[in-house]
Amino acid sequence: MDFPLLTVIVFLPLAGAALVALPGNGRPGAARVIAATVAAVDLVLVGWLTLRFDTGAGMQFAEKAAWVPQVGITYHLAVDGMSLAMVALSALLTLLAIVASWKTEKKPAMWFSMLLLLEVGMNGVFVAMDFVLFYVFWELVLVPMYFLIATWGGPRREYAAIKFFLYTLFGSVFMLVGIIALYLQTGTFDILAMAEAGGLAPSFQWWVFAAFFLGFAVKVPVFPLHTWLPDAHVEAPTAASVLLAGILLKMGSYGFLRISLPILPDAARQWSGFLAALAAISIVYGAAVAFAQTDMKKLVAYSSVSHMGFVMLGIASLTPEGLNGAVAVMFSHGVVTGMLFFLVGMVYERTHTRTIAEVSGLSSRVPVAGGLLAFASFASLGLPGLSGFVGEFLSLVGVWSSQIWAGWVVVAAVGVLLAAAYMLWLVQRVVLGGSSPAVETIGDLTKAEIWVLAPLVVLTITVGVYWDSLLRFTDPAVNAVLTLMGGA
Amino acid sequence: MADVWRLIPEFLVLGGALVALFAERARSDSRVSAGIAAAFAAAAAVAAAVIGPGGDLFGGQLSLDHIAVFARVAIGALATAWLLWVWGRGVTGERCAEAAALALFSVAGGMLMASARDLIVLYVSLELSTIPAYVLMGYRRDDARGLEGALKYFLLSMLTSLVMLYGLSFVFGISGSTSYGQISLGAAGPLGQVAFVLVLVGLFAKLSAAPFHYWTPDAYAGAQAGAVAYVSTVPKIAGVVALVRLVGAMAPNVAGASGVLVVAAVFSMVLGNLAAFPQSDVRRMMAYSGVAHTGYILLATGAGTAGGPAAVFYAVAYAVPSMAVMMLAEEEGPALDDLGGLASRRPAVAWASLAWLLSLVGIPPVVGFFGKLYLFTSAVRAGFIWPVLVAVAMSVVSAGYYFRLIRSAFLGQRKGAPVVERRTSAATAFVLITVIVLALGVLASPVLAFLGMRF
Repeated sequence: MDFPLLTVIVFLPLAGAALVALPGNGRPGAARVIAATVAAVDLVLVGWLTLRFDTGAGMQFAEKAAWVPQVGITYHLAVDGMSLAMVALSALLTLLAIVASWKTEKKPAMWFSMLLLLEVGMNGVFVAMDFVLFYVFWELVLVPMYFLIATWGGPRREYAAIKFFLYTLFGSVFMLVGIIALYLQTGTFDILAMAEAGGLAPSFQWWVFAAFFLGFAVKVPVFPLHTWLPDAHVEAPTAASVLLAGILLKMGSYGFLRISLPILPDAARQWSGFLAALAAISIVYGAAVAFAQTDMKKLVAYSSVSHMGFVMLGIASLTPEGLNGAVAVMFSHGVVTGMLFFLVGMVYERTHTRTIAEVSGLSSRVPVAGGLLAFASFASLGLPGLSGFVGEFLSLVGVWSSQIWAGWVVVAAVGVLLAAAYMLWLVQRVVLGGSSPAVETIGDLTKAEIWVLAPLVVLTITVGVYWDSLLRFTDPAVNAVLTLMGGA
Repeated sequence: MADVWRLIPEFLVLGGALVALFAERARSDSRVSAGIAAAFAAAAAVAAAVIGPGGDLFGGQLSLDHIAVFARVAIGALATAWLLWVWGRGVTGERCAEAAALALFSVAGGMLMASARDLIVLYVSLELSTIPAYVLMGYRRDDARGLEGALKYFLLSMLTSLVMLYGLSFVFGISGSTSYGQISLGAAGPLGQVAFVLVLVGLFAKLSAAPFHYWTPDAYAGAQAGAVAYVSTVPKIAGVVALVRLVGAMAPNVAGASGVLVVAAVFSMVLGNLAAFPQSDVRRMMAYSGVAHTGYILLATGAGTAGGPAAVFYAVAYAVPSMAVMMLAEEEGPALDDLGGLASRRPAVAWASLAWLLSLVGIPPVVGFFGKLYLFTSAVRAGFIWPVLVAVAMSVVSAGYYFRLIRSAFLGQRKGAPVVERRTSAATAFVLITVIVLALGVLASPVLAFLGMRF
């Protein structure tokens, strides 16, 4: 390996975070220009990585160096299609979040510094192939996200921030015990080596799976471990919400795909029924609760619980279709929900309210904002031709063709129906109709705001129409996972 | 006596103590003593590192193995940080010549304790490292509360020392020797168990492990935080090394030996963390959290030989940031809310304190995480699954209260905060500590190789 591309992609934002902090909060102009430049360069590097990526070659761009050889910890980075999709999403959403929060006035240097620090953790999680390194990045995201919520959030920000922190920490410390147990059994911290070695006793696998389940399921979040999410989302500033929903939740499902399934295949089969049940409950529960929300942001937050249920359902199926579907939902949800959170934030900046009842008639007053909100809503409810449909469809096909009780498909279908209902109802109340007093005087989206949303719109349509643009990356990766599982 | 040169660090420290004591004769400012003492402590740390491991000394009374060397260097470096800070800040408006000298005496005791391989040497060095601590804790003679805390510390510490001495007499009676090589209690049956527990009482009290932790919160909250910064950290490193070696020498084949340690560990972790949660005084909070950290360390100690290096590494990983938090409490005031607005008043210190506190929680990539990783690995390997699950759950609780400090520093407000003067030497101490916190975890490989940590 000549040029350590992955290392640069992961740690460039760290240098950026330090650089941004230097000018201090007194010079916001310097801070945001540096931040945007660093994030843009990072995105370009990810684009270059994508172009050079060989879809047929499995794990690539590997970088491996001894780190703490005494206990078998290595510095090991690599990407496959699954990782690449997530890293690309992470780099894109970070840049958009920086641009969208261009005018942050409160402690701007710290704000942009925290966003870049967050990107280090997010990028790192998806390319780390050593357990300790993975855990380092996994926990690294908590600190900047804590500050993003606690410093720039809504009225109950401090409560929401610490709740987010403690919940996810609680899950991940048990994951740490699982990591230690695996290490003592296999003598390595290398994720790929562990998966290839296999041969762990099923009863041992069961316990380790339970430990990892706690870590990952809190993050996803799976019902009933989701209660931190609505609080965090409602209080978080827009950019943090976008990254929280867009990337941080995916870390949990990625963990299942990268770690739980290949390393603990027997336990994964034993647990799959339980996972599917929880996933189906999450789908319906999230959708039902979303229905009842009066706050737009909370509605989107609960819809995330529902969508992540599809991811878990696809994972639980242990079939190529289901796993592809899971990754597709992960990607699409990141794009679409990112778009929704951006739009809710943009509307909120103008109307100073997120209450659905107080906002109506966006399409007549601000057609661009209204139209994009309607578009994002359609994508979110899974309209065929847009990206949301791809993954949900594949997940359901996966469950149908798997060992799992097919009734969950019916339950999940109810969730799809509910999603259509609450999203369309949202569109009807907010976008259509006569404009409410709060909407009367507002102006439409600015050029910069449209530029933030444009890449997400393009991705939504591209993936929705031309499935292969995403699946050609994910398919070899999920098949590799299933091969490691011994062909389920 | 050909080995005497290997004790150069101890001689440097003792010599430094005497120089510091009389340095103000030459310069009227007594703070200069602390600066001189810091130089000696630093020289001792460097000397200890250069001299390196050297096997048994003086017919096996001392043993300079790798752990001892690591502990000597750590003790010297940490004492340097404290003395540098005292040089800049003084000890609560009092003369600091005596404080500097007392600290160096205690350092000498700690360094000897870390290499002791004989019960008599252990006991003498233990007292040498503790007695100066009593004085430091009650350093202000007009402060009734501090004196009360110091007295409580003194009485309980003496009592438990005597219990330990009583236990040592049993050990001598059983084995007929005071050398670590011959004091295995495995063959002595129940009497051996009694002796083992009696000896542990003394060390548990010094390390403030449950159920012998009662003196800690009162003593810490009564004393000046600046003094606690020393007393709660440097002697603890030495104490942990002594515990690891003593357990290793006595415990093999003693029925229930690791059980005793694990039970004390679980009690310390649960009690320390839960009691730390509601505290509003940083000193009390850190006192209880110190109990909890001792609990983690006991877990590794109970895990046998593989756990020893992990326990010692963790002791250092705990002591370094913990000292800095106490120094900060001295500068800003001991109440939790006194940290309010620190991020806007002293941004660099606030960010450094974030690293210290995250290290105490065990969040990567700072040293505390790696300490916990190795510690838990050794404990899981010894089969302590349930205690480790308790430990990780409790570390989440600890995040709850450490984050109250972070919250206060970054989100809180404070009116009428004291203006803390910039002092180069105090800043140097903070930089030294922060560099160790940030780097010792990520770049631990040589240290682990030196300690011989393997799983």
